[in-house]
Amino acid sequence: MNLYVPILTIGAIGFGFAAFSIVAAAVTGPKRYNRAKLDAYECGIEPSPQAAGGGRFPIKYFLTAMLFIVFDIEIVFLYPWAVSFDQMGLFGLVEMLLFIGTVFVAYAYVWRRGGLEWD
Amino acid sequence: MSPNNYLVLSALLFSIGAIGVVLRRNAIVVFMCVELMLNAANLAFVTFARLLGNLDGQVVAFFTMVVAACEVVVGLAIIVTIFRSRRSASVDDANLLKY
Amino acid sequence: MNFVAPVINYSQVLPILIVLGTALLGVIVEAFVARDRRYQIQVPLSIAGLVVAFVWILKIHATTAITAESAVAIDGPALVLQGAIVILGIAGLLLIAERKLDSSGDAFVAQAAAIPGSEAERTATLAKLTQTEVFPLTLFAIAGMMLFPAANDLVTMFVALEVLSLPLYLMSGLARRRRLLSQEAALKYFLLGAFSSAFFLYGAAFLYGYSGSVGFRQIREAIQTNAGNDVFLLTGIALVSVGLLFKVSAVPFHSWTPDVYQGAPTPVTAFMAACTKIAAFGAFARLFYVGLSGARWDWRPMLTVIAIATMVLGALWALTQTDIKRMLAYSSVAHSGFILTGIVATNKAGLSGTLFYLVTYGFTTIGAFAIVTLVRNASGEATHISGYAGLGKRSPWIAMLLSLFLLALAGIPLTSGFVAKFAVFSAAYESGSTVLVIFGVLTSAIAAFFYIRLIVLMFFQDPEEDGPTVAAAPLMTTAAIALCATVTLVLGILPNSLVHVIDAASRFVF
Repeated sequence: MNLYVPILTIGAIGFGFAAFSIVAAAVTGPKRYNRAKLDAYECGIEPSPQAAGGGRFPIKYFLTAMLFIVFDIEIVFLYPWAVSFDQMGLFGLVEMLLFIGTVFVAYAYVWRRGGLEWD
Repeated sequence: MSPNNYLVLSALLFSIGAIGVVLRRNAIVVFMCVELMLNAANLAFVTFARLLGNLDGQVVAFFTMVVAACEVVVGLAIIVTIFRSRRSASVDDANLLKY
Repeated sequence: MNFVAPVINYSQVLPILIVLGTALLGVIVEAFVARDRRYQIQVPLSIAGLVVAFVWILKIHATTAITAESAVAIDGPALVLQGAIVILGIAGLLLIAERKLDSSGDAFVAQAAAIPGSEAERTATLAKLTQTEVFPLTLFAIAGMMLFPAANDLVTMFVALEVLSLPLYLMSGLARRRRLLSQEAALKYFLLGAFSSAFFLYGAAFLYGYSGSVGFRQIREAIQTNAGNDVFLLTGIALVSVGLLFKVSAVPFHSWTPDVYQGAPTPVTAFMAACTKIAAFGAFARLFYVGLSGARWDWRPMLTVIAIATMVLGALWALTQTDIKRMLAYSSVAHSGFILTGIVATNKAGLSGTLFYLVTYGFTTIGAFAIVTLVRNASGEATHISGYAGLGKRSPWIAMLLSLFLLALAGIPLTSGFVAKFAVFSAAYESGSTVLVIFGVLTSAIAAFFYIRLIVLMFFQDPEEDGPTVAAAPLMTTAAIALCATVTLVLGILPNSLVHVIDAASRFVF
């Protein structure tokens, strides 16, 4: 049973934080209701398909999604390194810096060629 | 639970993917079926890693995930381009190159 | 758990690293250099990177070692093929960089995102926009191709396969003319390529399940000691073969080849036809000779049947083609069958014959496709075979060069193709596969028919009234064609120098 105490504690803290946040936001936050605020998702696009456009999204969402996937997946290599970087020492650090540097080249390309600009 | 069951599951997933590639007509669905096949391979790798008691298979799974992500980016770019020029992503409509 | 840093002999993998580094520099150039200056930087940069890589390959030519924690094997076959890929990569890059042939720029689309036939496309073309991303993409593909025949475990092989394939998928969709065809080629290449690499990966999983490791040496030992479950082994061999046979375009996994070769921009077709085949057969030979050599009685019958089917069907389909790019594509399918003959021989002569064949085939193919880029009409390249009628009267030099390449592909004596074919057939005969040799010689005769038919068309028919014209070959294309023609001719007349080098190099390390 003792093994479960930390988990239950974490759960209780999490629950407490969520409850506190909701109450605090409700008490202190400004309330300005407008159309965007009342959407199901506050992401700037209509969640239900429009007859005219056939429910398609602009291509810029595609670009953002693709960039997200490519850069996000690098975490797969970072994570095993992060849990044992102390054992891998200098070798691991140098290799990881090389890897990050390579990813950064791709990032620089995307940034300079306007891939990160929304409009 | 016997690890063999996971191998059977991976074989099933792989077959569903392969059949989907052959039978489905929408390029995006075909591509999703390919991804399913890659994930079936991943499952097989992880199962074998468990069966054999070494970590090689799990490392392979990481590489597969990254490669699959790169394939998504390249592949969807090609599919979106062809959709924009033809207003259709059906592989049956891609029939200009024949004989 | 104690961590031991892996031992990587950087000198041995330096050629691959140089090409990858140059590709990264190319990406930085794309990001930070003004648009109109990129071309002037990219072309010398890419070629310099490849030349330096080649010099380093020459420097380490005697290496026989397994490095990077047995992920990479640098030995004779790997270095021969890497050298060939780099030199052919330079020739391909020269064709890709050519900007004097098409009045509106190079062979690549002004703006890939513009919809064909749209206002945006016209604006981009009128503005003479050009894209230089093809140079880093080519270098990434070359780096993958260099790693592919050197990969000594299944994961490295899979990653190399993808590194070489992904840029090629994109590049085959970038043609300036006939864009719908080009995009369709890219779609087909991508979907079928991804499909086959999934097969490869699933097969790799089974080989791992059989031997407990993805390394070729461990798989070899597991087969020798008969350690694992044979079902896993046979399933693994079958599925991995599907993936690799797709890349070398063997029947029945060849259907993408004609479509992609026809739809892709011709310089890309030239590069991909030569270099992908070399890299894929290199990897094929290493996997089957090193990893799976103990199971050769299981895979030899399968590969024999596939080799025969590939030779026969490739040659027969090539007979019926009316488009020269499609004809060369089917001829490349038939050549895969001939090269498989060398692999099936499973002896030293088979390996050296295969390597020699790959090198000579690469040069002839790039040369033939380079000539295709020169024969043009108002709408771009004239690829219909009828356009080649009477070429010998209007441009005797170009027609003679194309004839040289076609004769070499047909395997006529005094060209490199003859020596190569002789090498693989005699190796197959030595190993007792007489059936393969009989089929090989018969299909060579069929294949010779359609090559020679084209030559007859060029020299003994009158040109069409409004037929295509031959562009005066600009500098870079001329250089590529001259290189290929020289190698084809020299290796045909004096093959011994290269034969000795390859003979000495034909040993896999394990």
